[in-house]
Amino acid sequence: MIVKIAFKNIWRNKLRSWVVIIAIALGIFGGLAVISTATGLSKMRQNNAIRTYVSHLQLHDSAYLKYGRLDDTINQQADIITYLEKSKKVKGISPRLKVESFIQSAGGTSGVILNGIDPEKERQVTDLNEQCIAGNFLERYKQKPPIIISQKLATKLNARVKTTIQCSFTNNMGVPITGIFKVVDIFSTSNSMYDELNAFVRLEDLQNLTSIQGSHEIAVVLHEGKEVEQFREELISKFPNQHIASWRGIAPDLGYADKMMDLVMTLFLIIIMLALAFGIVNTMLMAVLERKKELGMLISVGMNKRKVFWMIIWESIFLALIAGPLGIFSTYLAVNFFGRVGIDLSFAAQGLRSIGLESTLFPILDDKYYVIISILVIITAILSCIYPALKALKLNPAETLRTA
Amino acid sequence: MIKVTHVTKTYDDGKVRVEALRGINVEIKNGEFTAIVGPSGSGKTTLLNIIGGLDTPTEGNVIIGETNIAQLSENQLIDFRLNHIGFVFQSYNLIPVLTAKENVEFLMLLQNKSEAERDERTTKLLKAVGLEDQINKKPNEMSGGQQQRVAVARALASKPDFILADEPTANLDSASTANLLDIMYRLNQEENMTFVFSTHDQRVIDRAKRVITVEDGKILSDIYT
Repeated sequence: MIVKIAFKNIWRNKLRSWVVIIAIALGIFGGLAVISTATGLSKMRQNNAIRTYVSHLQLHDSAYLKYGRLDDTINQQADIITYLEKSKKVKGISPRLKVESFIQSAGGTSGVILNGIDPEKERQVTDLNEQCIAGNFLERYKQKPPIIISQKLATKLNARVKTTIQCSFTNNMGVPITGIFKVVDIFSTSNSMYDELNAFVRLEDLQNLTSIQGSHEIAVVLHEGKEVEQFREELISKFPNQHIASWRGIAPDLGYADKMMDLVMTLFLIIIMLALAFGIVNTMLMAVLERKKELGMLISVGMNKRKVFWMIIWESIFLALIAGPLGIFSTYLAVNFFGRVGIDLSFAAQGLRSIGLESTLFPILDDKYYVIISILVIITAILSCIYPALKALKLNPAETLRTA
Repeated sequence: MIKVTHVTKTYDDGKVRVEALRGINVEIKNGEFTAIVGPSGSGKTTLLNIIGGLDTPTEGNVIIGETNIAQLSENQLIDFRLNHIGFVFQSYNLIPVLTAKENVEFLMLLQNKSEAERDERTTKLLKAVGLEDQINKKPNEMSGGQQQRVAVARALASKPDFILADEPTANLDSASTANLLDIMYRLNQEENMTFVFSTHDQRVIDRAKRVITVEDGKILSDIYT
């Protein structure tokens, strides 16, 4: 009966109850929408970085990372590649030879990292080939070795497809080396800074130029991103002399963004719950104050204070039980819809690209947030009506019946 | 039996001190139909509240049956009120979201009575007050007289030792007042139910078997009619 009365009580003032319910639902929707948008942005940045240039794991010779010498190539390369190719967890690997180079054309100069790659293997690891405008991913062009440069670098060098450019660097003996390449394609990723600093040539062309066999880096992409750390440990135990880093170690800013996002989400959850708490406290306090006489009567005729207390608590729980699912369900629909079709942010495409983001955002909301929000809504509802309920308990029945 | 001995009640908020009751002594036997009368501010409602355990005396004892309710804790008083006292208020004070049946049933639910017992007694009581055809109506769908009859049925639902009615006819028209008094009088006659009213309604005073007049916190007269 207490529960029944409590449920009926919230509909006494339908307008007020609906205003509170909608306000709570909107608060939950707004908070979860922000969380899903932020998660979507963070994941997009992460995925773009992993897909475009970081990969899940990178292996280097420890000395190469320390001194950056050209001849510090991976010394167990054959064993490592064999091991990786046999592993069912690995989706693709790409060995790379990396040389810091001075690049120049008739129209300009710049400093770049010249990446020697095997196009076929690189396709398994990055989507660089998909970012090429002409669809020529380092295919041979007549007699000159091919190179692909970014749109940003092309603009800087005033170069285009078929432009001949020159790359200069010194080998490990200090001997200057110059290579002549033909631009076969121009790429453009979502990270303009990466674009500006990288150019790609065929691995064997760069090996021939530098007289270095092997590679400086092996990029690895796994089938399941969540297995990264576990697989990294496996590789470290197998190849202890190599420096093996996961994407979090290679691009710590991406990992920090993840942690930052967790912090932001916690903050948003607190804000949502505070808004919910104030809404409920306000409503329930009004409900108690305007029903002083009735509550006094209930105590007068023999309803003990424990039951009065629980009646108020139940009223609050009912408000939350109606508002919570409403907010959560509307968020679920919105996140699913926009998670499929995306949110068009093309008006800010340039700015987004400069921080490694695309112009279509796909909101993501982990299922755990629906569960967390549901539990928090109930807990907040109960906690926030304790004060109004205690207020009701302090009523003096004789006084309320006389004065109200 | 209700036995009030040497009861005083003083309200003191630190600035103003009001002596609402000054040494009241009165006994009300089972089956009485008693009206406590007096002008506004005379102390009749305070006396009724103290008899009903809604307020505690500053001094003195209120013994109902064998229990001195002046010595009960707040929670014990609530339980005592539930099981021994029925209340009828001036402004009906029904639970607005419940139907007539649910309002009557409410106290029996608090007493953990079985559904069968609740149903049987609710039907019987609503029939006794002439509202058997109004059981599913909510208070706002009933007249003042009908609401007060539901309140009487509710007061009787918990099988109390006696019923305290604080100016029960103050908001009723003549026909409803007569009807309500008839019902209460019949319950008094047929079931020996004790009624104690606080009132200044002459129609109630005329029907009372005993009239206690209170003035300035003292009993001025106590007359059996």
